[in-house]
Amino acid sequence: MSDAILSAHNLVKHFNAGGWGAARKVVRAVDDVSFDVAPGETLGVVGESGCGKSTTARLLTHLLPSDRGEVRFRGRVAGTEVPLKEFRRHVQMVFQDSYASLNPRMTMLDAVAFGPTVHGVDQPEARRRAGALLERVGLDPARFGPRYPHEISGGQRQRVNIARALAFDPDVIVLDEAVSALDKSVEAQVLNLLTELRRERGLTYIFISHDLNVVRHISDRVMVMYLGEVVEIGPTADLYTAPRHPYTEALLAAMPSLDPDRRTMEAPLQGDPPNPIDPPPGCRFHTRCARAFGPCPGTAPVPALVGRRHLASCHLNTVKEAAE
Amino acid sequence: MAVAQTDIETLATADKPRGYWSGVGRRFLKDKVAVAAGCVAGGLILMAIFAPWVAPQDPFDGTMIRRLSPIGTEGYPLGADELGRDMLSRLIYGARLSLFMGVTPVLIAFVIGSAIGIAAGYAGGWVNSITMRVLDVFYAFPSVLLAIAISGALGAGILNGLLSLTVVFIPPIARVAESVTTAVRKLEYIEAARASGASAFTIVRAHVLGNVLGPIFVYATSLISVSMILAAGLSFLGLGVSPPNPEWGLMLNTLRNAIYVQPWLAALPGVMIFLTSISFNMLSDGLRSAMDIKQ
Amino acid sequence: MLIFTARRIAYTIPIMLGVSLVCFALVHISPGDPLVSILPPDASVELQEQLMAIYGFDRSYPEQFFRWLGRALQGDLGNSIATGRPVTSEVMNAVGNTLILAVTATIIGFTLGGLFGFVAGFFRDSWIDKLASTLAVVGVSVPHYWLGMVLVIIFSVELGWFPATGAGPGGSSQWAWDWEHMSHLVLPAVTMSVIPMGIVARTVRALVADILQQEFVTGLRAKGLLDRGVLAHVIKNAAPTALAVMGLQLGYLLGGSILIETVFSWPGTGFLLGQAIFQRDLPLLQGTILVLAMFFVILNLVVDVVQSALDPRLQRG
Ligand SMILES: Nc1ncnc2c1ncn2[C@@H]1O[C@H](COP(=O)(O)OP(=O)(O)OP(=O)(O)O)[C@@H](O)[C@H]1O
Ligand code: SF4
Ligand SMILES: [Mg+2]
Repeated sequence: MSDAILSAHNLVKHFNAGGWGAARKVVRAVDDVSFDVAPGETLGVVGESGCGKSTTARLLTHLLPSDRGEVRFRGRVAGTEVPLKEFRRHVQMVFQDSYASLNPRMTMLDAVAFGPTVHGVDQPEARRRAGALLERVGLDPARFGPRYPHEISGGQRQRVNIARALAFDPDVIVLDEAVSALDKSVEAQVLNLLTELRRERGLTYIFISHDLNVVRHISDRVMVMYLGEVVEIGPTADLYTAPRHPYTEALLAAMPSLDPDRRTMEAPLQGDPPNPIDPPPGCRFHTRCARAFGPCPGTAPVPALVGRRHLASCHLNTVKEAAE
Repeated sequence: MAVAQTDIETLATADKPRGYWSGVGRRFLKDKVAVAAGCVAGGLILMAIFAPWVAPQDPFDGTMIRRLSPIGTEGYPLGADELGRDMLSRLIYGARLSLFMGVTPVLIAFVIGSAIGIAAGYAGGWVNSITMRVLDVFYAFPSVLLAIAISGALGAGILNGLLSLTVVFIPPIARVAESVTTAVRKLEYIEAARASGASAFTIVRAHVLGNVLGPIFVYATSLISVSMILAAGLSFLGLGVSPPNPEWGLMLNTLRNAIYVQPWLAALPGVMIFLTSISFNMLSDGLRSAMDIKQ
Repeated sequence: MLIFTARRIAYTIPIMLGVSLVCFALVHISPGDPLVSILPPDASVELQEQLMAIYGFDRSYPEQFFRWLGRALQGDLGNSIATGRPVTSEVMNAVGNTLILAVTATIIGFTLGGLFGFVAGFFRDSWIDKLASTLAVVGVSVPHYWLGMVLVIIFSVELGWFPATGAGPGGSSQWAWDWEHMSHLVLPAVTMSVIPMGIVARTVRALVADILQQEFVTGLRAKGLLDRGVLAHVIKNAAPTALAVMGLQLGYLLGGSILIETVFSWPGTGFLLGQAIFQRDLPLLQGTILVLAMFFVILNLVVDVVQSALDPRLQRG
């Protein structure tokens, strides 16, 4: 899809988990992940803790070198065809921990102004722009500009982080659990801000979250990850109403309702996900899948088109005898 | 004399409010021991600077008639040394070379060690491993032994003494700098800075230095006390400063033969070394707790 | 455990190599011709070249290093320039004396420091606690060579209780466990014991205070039960760290004894080193330092292995 603004092609990242030579163990944090995002679109990314969402985000933004695969920006390979420094201006990131992602010794104004100065904007101009951006994200620059991270609330800090990303005038922003740590009411405000900004600036978001309600609310398309792999990706409405992968089904079934009384402690799935150091053979989900059948433990399913822009990796969609 | 390794990563990663330094100042001033130690250390430094005005006599001028006059001799309140020179004046002038020899190596090692440690910590990976393994070699020598080995091989002299002490203090400072930097490097604000496209150098300058230099500096100040003892120790062995210059360690050396004649006179220069060393030590302790660095 | 030990040994080998490289370099950073101290001042050029070849100084540095290392591994550290005797035997004689001094000092320092720290940890913020922390600061701040002088002044010059210098009567350098020799040991050993005492006191205090705060112990204490069980628990938990500190301190003392040995003319490695420096006897300097540093490296290794055997949690990483 050449009209994609950002695309991932067979990204692989394995972390060392100790051991030497033949006994070397690796965490398959991201294993052959491919997808693309269209301009102006918001792609939600969901999955259990440890499935590789953050690692994917860091690979996308080139904060981590990938073992294999590439990231393309407007069809050009990031890091080679698009120089990294230029790429970073186009693709920005907002992290989950609003506190840790701000230098404790930098004022909010300087934090926002830092990026543009790196790209050659002079100090006064960068600070002027930073002031305007703080204003835009709803923080009075005169009041908040001179403050340090610990002197403002989590929601305000996350606004600063958004302003910092905006300072590059980027096309894509990767938001890794950017609202997850906030109170519900603050979360809603920040989400509204993000929606406004997207409309206003034609931004593209990659929105990572474990909260399926929030993802449904903000995303055009949703990608579901399990043990380092993409198991399903498709338009939000289709995926939420007619999921084509048992894992997505399970996640949705366990999705906390918006009614707080019904938001129980129910785990999304029975048991913990298997160890990513030794993922199960065949379909990685088969150890927990209620609908596993013949080929599942032996053969890994491949992504198959199951609807318009809708892919799923499950034998149920492809193998004939699966039609019960 | 262990160059105590302190785990002070906590400071770099801890909350650092605005007015952090005023908070540090407030806490420091509340600590009476630290303030007293600071006054003593400051006094010693002033004494060194203004030695010509403070000292009652010429520290080089001696007469054999007065040699080893006891403490309390008229005109020589602290007596006279083995060449009849005024003890008080020599002790006062001695502060110059003694402090210089004790403090300079730590300062130079602070600069070099920080540079090595921060570079290794920020680079990570095999650059870090190799640097740290090389430093481990120097760790395999007790600090006293290393200082004496190097200046013993180089021979006596102020410059050789400074050089050997600097070499001794670079590894521990670099190690602390590396661990603090490694802790800071993992923080998300550094990742955010990398996502800005800034070069490693810019990131270190704008985001790393401000958060690591404080703890490294506090650690370095804790070494001054050891450095004072070692520097004077080198001169005491006949390395480092050479006669007739007044330096406390050297004075201890030359007066050593006089302990049967004027025992307490002979011990005087050591009092100065002790005083300096303990006041720097307590000052550093006070600084550490004021900055809330956990041991 | 075995794997840990093997890994730890494997890690030690490059360190040892590095240490020998530093020792080798010592001779070469020293200014002047390495032969200056052996050559007669009017030596002919031929003689000079001949000697250069005999000592191997005409070869490349790496070659010299490996030849030197090879000989050192066989126990040949060259001959002392001053006495002409083999460095190895000079050093080995001295090492024994230094060990006697350092071990005695470690035992004194560890016993007193441990006792102090233990009591201070039990009675936090009492006067004894304050005394212990003051002692700790004094211990690391005092120039120990001066402390030695002061002790000599008090106990030899003024009181005449102990001899001031030497390791035995009549300049004897052959150690024996009789009263004459032991009385010579008292002052230097006490002086030296001050170095680890403060650090041991501080470590033990922190350990004891830490262990006493563990829930199970606080529970017992609340009931007024401070029985032998608790005491045993505290000691058992504090022992590995305390032992490690002791081992490391012993290493520091071995290497750092030079100044104290000089003060007391104690015929150990430090004294030898002092002579080597004074006479610019570079082979002796190099050999002594190599032996001391190797001692320190091996001691570190042993401490690590023993400590991790006592406390298997440490075997990771
Ligand atoms: N630097 C690293 N070194 C080793 N393993 C890592 C590293 N970073 C991540 N991992 C491992 O990779 C896997 C994926 O981690 P990742 O942070 O991408 O998951 P995530 O989906 O973002 O989880 P969460 O929802 O908890 O944030 C996990 O098993 C994690 O332990
Ligand atoms: S492939 Fe099999 S095991 Fe995997 S999700 Fe589909 S049905 Fe379940
Ligand atoms: Mg994550």
